[in-house]
Amino acid sequence: MTGLSPTGDAMTAPFFEAAGQGRLVVQQCSSCGALRWPPLAGCPDCRGRDSAWVDIAPAGTIWSFVVYHRAFAAELKPDIPYTVVMVELDDGPYMIGRLLEGEKPPAVGARVAAEFVATDGVPSVRWRIV
Amino acid sequence: MAKPENPVAGRAAIVGLGHTAQGELPGSSAEQNALDAGLLALQNAGLTVGDLDGLIACKSVQGQANDVAVGALLGVNLPYVQSLDYGTCNFSLHLAVMAIVSGMANTILLTYGANARSGKFDFGKPMYGADMASAAGLVHIAGRAGLALQRHKAIYGTTDEQFGMLAVGQRLWAQNNPNAIFRKPMTMADYLAEPYMVDPLRRSDVTMISDGGAAVVVTAAERARDLPNRPVYVSGMAEYAGVRGDNNPENLMRPWLKQSASAIWTTTGLNAGDIDVLYIQDPTAVWSLQMLEYYGFCGIGEGGPFLAEGHTLPGGVLPLNTHGGQLSESYTWGWMHVVEAVRQLRGQAGDRQLDAPRIGMYCSSHGFVKAAASILSTEQSVGS
Repeated sequence: MTGLSPTGDAMTAPFFEAAGQGRLVVQQCSSCGALRWPPLAGCPDCRGRDSAWVDIAPAGTIWSFVVYHRAFAAELKPDIPYTVVMVELDDGPYMIGRLLEGEKPPAVGARVAAEFVATDGVPSVRWRIV
Repeated sequence: MAKPENPVAGRAAIVGLGHTAQGELPGSSAEQNALDAGLLALQNAGLTVGDLDGLIACKSVQGQANDVAVGALLGVNLPYVQSLDYGTCNFSLHLAVMAIVSGMANTILLTYGANARSGKFDFGKPMYGADMASAAGLVHIAGRAGLALQRHKAIYGTTDEQFGMLAVGQRLWAQNNPNAIFRKPMTMADYLAEPYMVDPLRRSDVTMISDGGAAVVVTAAERARDLPNRPVYVSGMAEYAGVRGDNNPENLMRPWLKQSASAIWTTTGLNAGDIDVLYIQDPTAVWSLQMLEYYGFCGIGEGGPFLAEGHTLPGGVLPLNTHGGQLSESYTWGWMHVVEAVRQLRGQAGDRQLDAPRIGMYCSSHGFVKAAASILSTEQSVGS
């Protein structure tokens, strides 16, 4: 998914690096301590510039989801149908991700856990209903 | 509490409207479409290019038809020229009123043109570059809109039949609009039989990209009186921007739309019950659901049952998008909503003409982040 994935982007590199080690990380503001996702150059809560990447619990709740029955990009064709979830992480931030197919159908409020997989050799995070 | 001053009410009016055919215009560039619509709007206003002292262009998503490109074809140098890179006409209209009220210009052409359909613009490509959401496969406006609707269904119990009233209703309105691209009748059964495109959205819940241009001419109220058409005054306007974007926990549900609503109701002294005809920009039907609720036409979370009662359909008390909106008429980035509002208020809407509407409203948003609303009226005193 080279056209859709921000690989080689310095802002997101630490996330993929951590995923390769089986860890879920987000940015934490060094001034006010707020956790934030997606990555941003500064803190929208206190305007502090410095941040660090910190480990968070790889678990959350499905805030909402969509099931794609149409591929809007050629590289998504093999995946159809696929489910995208917005996860409300237990540690606070919301994270958009792909749901792995499982026995249970996706539902708002369902508990999910992160799984660390490699797609075309690139580490990434996927979610599974638990 | 006394109503705050409304410095814009009745100061400027829409006096001309124009648009190209909507659909496929192969061989006609975005700039040409913007110009064609603009010249028609001037003609409709009883004006010529020489009467203009302002031009506000609207850069298409494809980066075309900005002020410099349209100005080159219009062939004049003007005191006030701007280009907005977001659509819906509401933002351009607000800018025009501000320019007129401030005295920077008196008669302004607002125009938009696109050829995204024949140009085969790829709306599946992440618009602002690849990010963590597109990496998960969240592409196209249907993705985020679908997340918002799925959440709405889960927390408020909104059903497909209720939500489908928007797509079905827009098609009903479009039946009487010769300009609409989609006029084939669609029943609720037809709608429900459609497969999901991005569950919970079906194809009919999302606009189809089309080519076309749309334009309006806005002038100072004093001048509007001398022109051939009944002036349609801008009675109030408000904006609000959720530019925290993805860092807003509730970015997709957009509760901040309430701020734009509260500003326009407070400054005009009007309320939802005063609106005779409503326009909501609808690249997806989710926009209509959200704005019906946040602008107070029904309670928060009550959009489903409200729609099911049929208020927004032909014959209902709150006619919504009487041209068929972006779902059934054409894409045109929401600009045709203003064109239709002016037609209805002038009494020139043909077979779909309502019974003498006096006050119209247009609510729109650029993506999930920028919201705008305008109230339009045939009476200059409304909103003041």
